[in-house]
Amino acid sequence: MGGRALSTVLLAAVLSACAMSGSGESRPAGQGGSAGSASGTAQPPPPTAPARPPAVPPRPFRLGAATSALVAQAHAQANGGDYGQAAATLERAVRIEPDNPLVWIELGRVQLGSNNAAQADALARKALTLGTGDASAQAFAWRLIADAARARGRTADAYDADRRAQELSAR
Amino acid sequence: MLAAVALAAALYGLYLDHLVTKQFEGRRWTLPAQVYAAPLELYAGLPLSLPELEHELQRLHYRRTTHLERPGSYRWQGEHIEVALRAARFADETRPAQVLSVTGAGTQLAALRDSAGHDVPVLRLEPLLIGSIFPTHGEDRIVVTPQEVPALLPAALKAVEDRKFDTHHGIDPVAMLRAAWVDARAGQIEQGGSTLTQQLVRSYFLNSRQTISRKLREAVMAMALDAHFTKADLMNAYINEIFLGQDGNRAIHGFGLASQFYFGKPLAELELPEVALLVAVVRGPSYYDPRRHPDRARGRRDLVLKILTDQHIVSAAQAAAATRAPLGVTSRPAGAYYPAYLDFVRRTLRRDYREQDLTEAGLSIYTSLDPRAQDQAERSLERELAQLDRTSKHPQAALEGAAVITSPQSGEVIAIVGGRNVGYDGFDRALDAHRPMGSLVKPFIYLAALESGRYNAATVVQDAPVDVKLANGAHWRPENFTRRVYGAVPVVRALAESLNLATVGVGLDLGLPKVAQTLQRFGLTAPPALLPAMLLGAVPVTPLEAAQLFNGLANGGFSNPLRAVRAVVSADGKPLKAFPLTVTQVAPPEAVYELDRMLIEVMDRGTGRSARALLPPQLVVAGKSGTSSDFRDSWFAGFSGTHLAVVWVGYDDNAPTGFTGSSGALPVWAHIMAGLDTRSWSAPMPESLAEVHIEYPTGLRVVPGCSEDIVAVAVPGTATLPPKPGCGFPEGEGAFSNVLERAAQWLRNLTH
Repeated sequence: MGGRALSTVLLAAVLSACAMSGSGESRPAGQGGSAGSASGTAQPPPPTAPARPPAVPPRPFRLGAATSALVAQAHAQANGGDYGQAAATLERAVRIEPDNPLVWIELGRVQLGSNNAAQADALARKALTLGTGDASAQAFAWRLIADAARARGRTADAYDADRRAQELSAR
Repeated sequence: MLAAVALAAALYGLYLDHLVTKQFEGRRWTLPAQVYAAPLELYAGLPLSLPELEHELQRLHYRRTTHLERPGSYRWQGEHIEVALRAARFADETRPAQVLSVTGAGTQLAALRDSAGHDVPVLRLEPLLIGSIFPTHGEDRIVVTPQEVPALLPAALKAVEDRKFDTHHGIDPVAMLRAAWVDARAGQIEQGGSTLTQQLVRSYFLNSRQTISRKLREAVMAMALDAHFTKADLMNAYINEIFLGQDGNRAIHGFGLASQFYFGKPLAELELPEVALLVAVVRGPSYYDPRRHPDRARGRRDLVLKILTDQHIVSAAQAAAATRAPLGVTSRPAGAYYPAYLDFVRRTLRRDYREQDLTEAGLSIYTSLDPRAQDQAERSLERELAQLDRTSKHPQAALEGAAVITSPQSGEVIAIVGGRNVGYDGFDRALDAHRPMGSLVKPFIYLAALESGRYNAATVVQDAPVDVKLANGAHWRPENFTRRVYGAVPVVRALAESLNLATVGVGLDLGLPKVAQTLQRFGLTAPPALLPAMLLGAVPVTPLEAAQLFNGLANGGFSNPLRAVRAVVSADGKPLKAFPLTVTQVAPPEAVYELDRMLIEVMDRGTGRSARALLPPQLVVAGKSGTSSDFRDSWFAGFSGTHLAVVWVGYDDNAPTGFTGSSGALPVWAHIMAGLDTRSWSAPMPESLAEVHIEYPTGLRVVPGCSEDIVAVAVPGTATLPPKPGCGFPEGEGAFSNVLERAAQWLRNLTH
């Protein structure tokens, strides 16, 4: 049951980090139109052609009030050992904020808690993709990838993932 | 002789007594699984106006009132809707009845508060009952406890059907004699004279043939029941057992289901006119069917109301008001709304459950069906097919169609339409029509090309005649839709304009196995035949399979098995099975992003552009049309940030329709998307990609203003794109154009 205790600690870490990043503020839905991608490439100004660059939600990611409440509820359920219910609660959060990597990381944490490291890894990689442009969210995702790798005995992969997490945190 | 007859009669009586007691004591109604839609999550910021919220409450048959009374009602005051929520059971929790105040602000919800004025961060409306999985003999019911029965119902049943119920011993000899007298005069059995107990016996133990011996048997059994069970027990059994309507091959049993079937709400919430109508229907569910024979049903309801007044069960004023009330039945019976969706639910569950578990064990099935999306899909398909029929080449035949809508990130199927006759529980085209996917295959060919590292969105490919000698010696010479040859074109244009020759060239260069593998990674179940025609979509798929394939594109290269069932809960509320969200990475996110950006160009300047006029102007969507040979199948698959929809249009007999994907399926798709509350596609660009501008016809790299026809594409940062002469690029420049940016990318590559 050491794994469960560990994961609970990690869940708490993610929650406090989310709280620090200012929950309760919901992101506006990105509806087309506005300026180009946030990936930092030096791009020319928007073209005159009809192609509209897709809008990207603002970074860094935060949890909205509804998803914060659901994440807190999921933590309570996971702490009580009910990973199935915790996952169901987090799926509600995913449906409300499907583009928010923090919710996917929470879901991955719960999967790791229920000894499903492969799924935790896949969910973390999904979060990594969504978290492009948000170093903090990506660092959380890499930490989850590291923990999932450790749970599968892949220490070299875990080490590598941890290193990436550290580098992103330092950005 | 007389003694022998008496003994035989006594023995027979004892046998019946034993039979009745044993069967009735161990009675357990077979309870078909109840299937629920996804509950609507309410939270501050939800894009839902108060009128839309009211619509959702009415879908759940909440009543608008001026004073909040009991659960199942709401009142609207200015910017607030106050709702007395019913108690609800979800897959993961039960929630008691409570009062919720919802504040609206324009097109979204601003705040939710409980009765003490505290903020409620998130709360679900109860899920809509969308059907049940009843057995082949068709008996469907919802069992109710005595606490769930309005007190008026047993009183009314007794007053109308059996006044001496509380005092008789199972039969009412006076009533029987009176009935026998009527029957004798008529020369046939016309009048029942049956007590509620006898009716219960008839429904529970016997068939409905009217013979003298059966009447005797019924009377003996009714007396036996009365001797062994309390009146309350028998009344409750009657309320749950009796037949109250027919819906196709589904028999509506019990007042619990009848209340849902006729009024769409729980029995406990029925008012006097509704109770009176159900009591009226008892006498002849077919003859007094309130949907088919409303006048007849109303006449009998009003008679019931008169009897209730005469018996002093209700006041004359109450009865008068009830007589003025409309019948109040819903236009469509609840539980028969979404046959194609239920079909998918049943198939999912049959992998894990025996038929008997589903039809008898009282399971609750929680699904991801979104009634709003489902209604939108049904309406769009019905309306657009009617429109297309007018221009079709076969005025004598009716076009058919199917649609599937998913929520791509979670992999949940939120709507399925199996044909234009949406309420018909027949051939489910969404799940069973295997049709060639046509050009829907092209995104997967180009994805394989991008993954190979040898192509990007700006790579110039040759749209040139193709001649492949097949194994049988025949030659395969495909053509473009326009029969023209386009020469050198960039990949983004070849895909946007669905150029066959360019695509076949790329596919042959990659090799057929590579393309087949890509399709299978994304969820194609049967391995496609490795023939060159595969590259033009000679790959049969169902609309649901097409949705599975495109869902991986809409979800950034992550595939999740499409699912309709979220959880199964036992009759006593224990979670039995969950179908959790799982994801598998099936393609590099970079290649999928690059492809998705090209699929946006399909909508902006390619074969999907006619949808633009129907969609909100700022909505960013991606998609692809598909047409099979001879115009037999018209497809469109496309997605926003929050919804994926696949539409198929064609004839059941596979006759040519004369429609392309763009002229047949696309308008249906566009109407569906326009009516959903959907958000723009807005995936973040992976850091190893760069956005560059190229000339659409030639693929040459340009700066804005340097050409008339420019398109922005995402390509790998390391890609070298030939610049348009005179546009001011140094030769051999990569996609990351300035030195600082290249340095930054070099650093990022080190850390990733």
